[in-house]
Amino acid sequence: MEGVSYQRFPKIKIREMKDDYFKFELRETDASMANALRRVMIAEVPTIAIDLVEIEANSSVLNDEFIAHRLGLIPLVSDDAMGMRFSRDCDACDGDGQCEYCSVEFHLNVRCDSDQTLDVTSNDLRSTEPRVIPVDVASRSLASESGGYDSQERGIIIVKLRRGQELRLRAIARKGIGKDHAKWSPAATVTFLYEPEIHINEELMETLTLEEKRSWVESSPTKVFDIDPDTYQVKVVDPEAYSYDEEVIKKAEAMGKPGLVEIYAKEDSFIFTVESTGAIKAYQMVINAIEIIKQKLDAVRLQDSEEPDMGELTQHL
Amino acid sequence: MNAPDRYERFVVPEGTKKVSSERDTKIVNAASFTIEREDHTVGNILRMQLHRDPNVLFAGYKLPHPLQYKIIVRIHTTSQSSPTQAYTQAIDDLDRELDLLKRSLEVF
Repeated sequence: MEGVSYQRFPKIKIREMKDDYFKFELRETDASMANALRRVMIAEVPTIAIDLVEIEANSSVLNDEFIAHRLGLIPLVSDDAMGMRFSRDCDACDGDGQCEYCSVEFHLNVRCDSDQTLDVTSNDLRSTEPRVIPVDVASRSLASESGGYDSQERGIIIVKLRRGQELRLRAIARKGIGKDHAKWSPAATVTFLYEPEIHINEELMETLTLEEKRSWVESSPTKVFDIDPDTYQVKVVDPEAYSYDEEVIKKAEAMGKPGLVEIYAKEDSFIFTVESTGAIKAYQMVINAIEIIKQKLDAVRLQDSEEPDMGELTQHL
Repeated sequence: MNAPDRYERFVVPEGTKKVSSERDTKIVNAASFTIEREDHTVGNILRMQLHRDPNVLFAGYKLPHPLQYKIIVRIHTTSQSSPTQAYTQAIDDLDRELDLLKRSLEVF
């Protein structure tokens, strides 16, 4: 008895796509799927980040663990992270996590010999793998290639040194997920909102004076409505600016005009905003998130050993 | 010093099964599935997908305790189906939905 399918057929429409920003509409699915996508993007899409630091010399004002922490928070280009191994299940290096399959080594060797304060930045990190470098370094070299963007911009400051101080260290970057430590999260912010459906009761609206219309439009904390300068009609200018605060509904009631406007949340329509730290392109983050959910679902399938249980059940019927 | 490893939150310990099912002793066609190292991400999509199945009379999940990294999915079906069948069907449907989603994104 093969079950029939109760599958949904969601639709996606892209609004805006930049390297670190992605806005899209997701329709014909429910909040559980939208929320799973959001949760996975924040906590389970893998990236690469510095995880182990061996300090050889540190005479800076910051202590060793402070510097190690700062290094960990530097976003690294993680386009290869999905294909990489987690050090904990890498069999090439029996768990010490220092082989080419599961790690990337960085070196930092800076010494200040001038009277001016020296900024140690992400630029000073030397990677053993050219594909895994700090994201700001990568974007700068890309910009300078395509027609001299001002390369004066400095990198992410790690520490400042004065004359005679030095910092020498070896760092191991590994693959990880945001659930383990936030430094591995590729997401700056991921949000979704229900698409609002706004109906103005035109008939009732016309019973309002221009002054009343103005004060009603003003009652919304965000700019959702406006008054047409020619016809003096109230119109919706930006439905998505509505934050479900119900201020306009309360205002209408206070004015003695309940039902002036009706606002519903479309429960199968979502507008996503994805912002990336730069470790993974925002668009790729969504694709990776879908792939991760698929892997998670695959892992929770019942194994063959569960089959007798099912046989037993059908016998029971 | 005796802090548990951070990865214990999402790596299934050796010798533990990812999914185990237990039939209800009092009601026919009811069972609980214990899923190790999963949370609301999987629990909620599974529950909502199960609700789309008309043979499912009850489907719910719980996270018994925030420090026990497991969820329990309880399913009760009509005699036309079985909890195992509904569970497998829900995963298949979700998998196909995600496939579709992925393909429609990769066009761009």
